[in-house]
Amino acid sequence: MARAQAERRLYFEDVQVNVPLETPGITLTEAHVALFASLTTSRPGEPATVPDLLPLCVSSGLGWRVPQPPLVVLAFMGFEWRFFKPTRVGDTIRSVSKTVAKRSMKDGGVVIEERQILNQRDEVVQSGRLTLLVAKRPQT
Amino acid sequence: MSGEPVVYFEDVQLGEEYVSPGRTVTEADIVIFAGLSGDFNVLHTDAEHMKASLFGERIAHGLLGLSIQQGLLDRVIPGQTVGPLAAVKWKFKGPIKIGDTIHVEARVTAKKDGEQPGRGVVTVERRVVNQRGEVVQEGETDHVVGRRTV
Repeated sequence: MARAQAERRLYFEDVQVNVPLETPGITLTEAHVALFASLTTSRPGEPATVPDLLPLCVSSGLGWRVPQPPLVVLAFMGFEWRFFKPTRVGDTIRSVSKTVAKRSMKDGGVVIEERQILNQRDEVVQSGRLTLLVAKRPQT
Repeated sequence: MSGEPVVYFEDVQLGEEYVSPGRTVTEADIVIFAGLSGDFNVLHTDAEHMKASLFGERIAHGLLGLSIQQGLLDRVIPGQTVGPLAAVKWKFKGPIKIGDTIHVEARVTAKKDGEQPGRGVVTVERRVVNQRGEVVQEGETDHVVGRRTV
């Protein structure tokens, strides 16, 4: 019997350095802000202001909406991030990212990703570098 | 605006320490965060897959832990001490599992001039600690804070 193919995944060996990847956009709404505030019990800011950390959180999901299969991330190890401009309700953000370095380890490999979050005016609102531990392709 | 007292750059004391209340991270937190962020990685969403993993079970998104600690610390830092975020340097050191209770220990480690004359930058070192006293996340955040005297 035919079976749907298991989800394709990208492994450490498949990661290409310096190839930019742009995601589709997402419009940030009052619903996003309310959900995030209730989840984090953050102090409410001005109503139309998107909390600083929300665009970063949403950008991790945008990375799943690109034509290539998802990377098999074993752990998110850390990141350095800068905030340049506020994001407001109604803004549409997207991210542009690329791998700037990869380093093979005994179990898996470390991938350094540079990511920018842009708004509908192509302004960079946040950017930084993320360090990910990625699985190697299983030996068959 | 909220009725909280305004705290200026001059009011923030170097070495000032804060300890947040605790919060138990639940399965519901993880499900809501997956939906909100769109990050459905198996690490956070597939209980069966994770049984065979290094962690043995689903773990919270690192950025969920970061977001929760931000909310926890907001509850104990007075007024606008930590204004908008300017920068974050962060390390995820261990997993936050369903049912873990985390709190934040923070300290003001630096005060410096901002890029604009009426502002200063405050650096806060933060550690996210679980119920066993293990540091699961740590890092520092830079905040832009207004000056009393311009």
